[in-house]
Amino acid sequence: MDPRDLGLINELLEGEAQHKERIREHVVTFEKKTRVMTSILDKVHSTPKSDIPALLEALRPIFDSCHEVAAALAETIPRDEVWKWKDLWTTPLRAATFSVLLARFLTDGTLATLPSVAEQLGIREEWKGRFSLVPEDYLHGIISVINELSRLAVNAVTLGDFEAPLRISVFAKEVFTGFSMLNLKNDALRRRFDTLKYDIKKIEEVVYDVTLRKLVSLSESATDVESRS
Amino acid sequence: MSPTGTIPLAFESFREHLDEHYDRRERLIKASRDITAASKKIIFLIHRVLNEASGDDRALSLRAAEARRRLAEVRLIMENVAHELDGARFWRYAQNISGGLQEYIEAFSFFHYVECGGLVSYEQVQANLSDGAGQPLFPVPLSDYALGISDFTGELMRLAITSMSKPNGRTRATQISEFVRGCKADLETLTPHIHDLYKKQVVTTQSLRKIEEAAYAIAIRSSEYELSPWMLDHIVSQVSEDKES
Repeated sequence: MDPRDLGLINELLEGEAQHKERIREHVVTFEKKTRVMTSILDKVHSTPKSDIPALLEALRPIFDSCHEVAAALAETIPRDEVWKWKDLWTTPLRAATFSVLLARFLTDGTLATLPSVAEQLGIREEWKGRFSLVPEDYLHGIISVINELSRLAVNAVTLGDFEAPLRISVFAKEVFTGFSMLNLKNDALRRRFDTLKYDIKKIEEVVYDVTLRKLVSLSESATDVESRS
Repeated sequence: MSPTGTIPLAFESFREHLDEHYDRRERLIKASRDITAASKKIIFLIHRVLNEASGDDRALSLRAAEARRRLAEVRLIMENVAHELDGARFWRYAQNISGGLQEYIEAFSFFHYVECGGLVSYEQVQANLSDGAGQPLFPVPLSDYALGISDFTGELMRLAITSMSKPNGRTRATQISEFVRGCKADLETLTPHIHDLYKKQVVTTQSLRKIEEAAYAIAIRSSEYELSPWMLDHIVSQVSEDKES
């Protein structure tokens, strides 16, 4: 190899390695934030319904603080290179998406849309190609929420909230219907989608238990659900 | 059942997004396979040309023209899929086409070596994979360049081994192993940055050993006896057959 050519290649590779380090620094910051989010959200399993709003309020500043790290990442990534580096931040981004989605469900029982999750985390549309929330990560986030809700259905009952499983059940089934509309190929998303049915089964068992014991009446819950949707 | 809410509606756009992604990925994987197959054929063609190499210059230049034409055809496959790889898409699908791209670089550098001598540079590869206006079809990843070059040295070693058993082939074999040694040393400096290159370097070392041992056999035998060139060729061909099996 021509020494000049080899030097050039080495320089380029060295540059890329340094670039990766810079991205990683931001990703570590991002990761720390998502840990705080998930540890706050983990408390929903032991928090009575009345105290949930206060818990969600505590999340807000963490979400807001993500704006800064999102901007830093967007600035670090060269134009059109989002997919070159994306693996570095996929894990924290999915975790953050999960947190926003779960918090939204706990607030008003709805599924936050992709643009609204991006907005909450401070990811701007104009950063597309550098740093963005892609549908794949959003969908992974949704599946994590359903995984978590099957656990919450159980724990809500323990805490005396017998309506929660019914709300969760309706939500999970709608999400399942949504996923069934996708033509998934044999990839990670498909494998995780396949786990949804176990979550739904678990949730149905809880619903069965509370209705069988007349802890909640189905007709009441049905009107409750309808008024929400 | 749940009331049909807005959630399934939102998934319609995701279905479109995912279908488009899966279809594009499929098309690129297919293109990559086509590129690989066609590039392999070019490599075999060059091997045949060099092995048959007779004194007939006209026949040789005809075969060279054929190799050049076929390379242009493979390049065209890449030009035709380049629109699927524009902007941010390239890095999304880079791994799906990198197999074909590496094979093409291997064939291209082999042809370059035979035509011009020496190693094709990264810039020359990128220039080849650019449109008429000199705009790159897509950025050639450095890793694909390095891995393609490493595979190309493997082809050279094969060429050296087959040359050795031929009359007058030993000079070529010596030149090639010198060249490959140089390439290997250069690539060595890149291994910390390029995944998979290390494994290929091990293979290159093995082929170098093979040819070094064949050269050793020649040196030993020629020092022991006053061998006729014909006998020498015979011995060498036996050694290289042993090594290949």
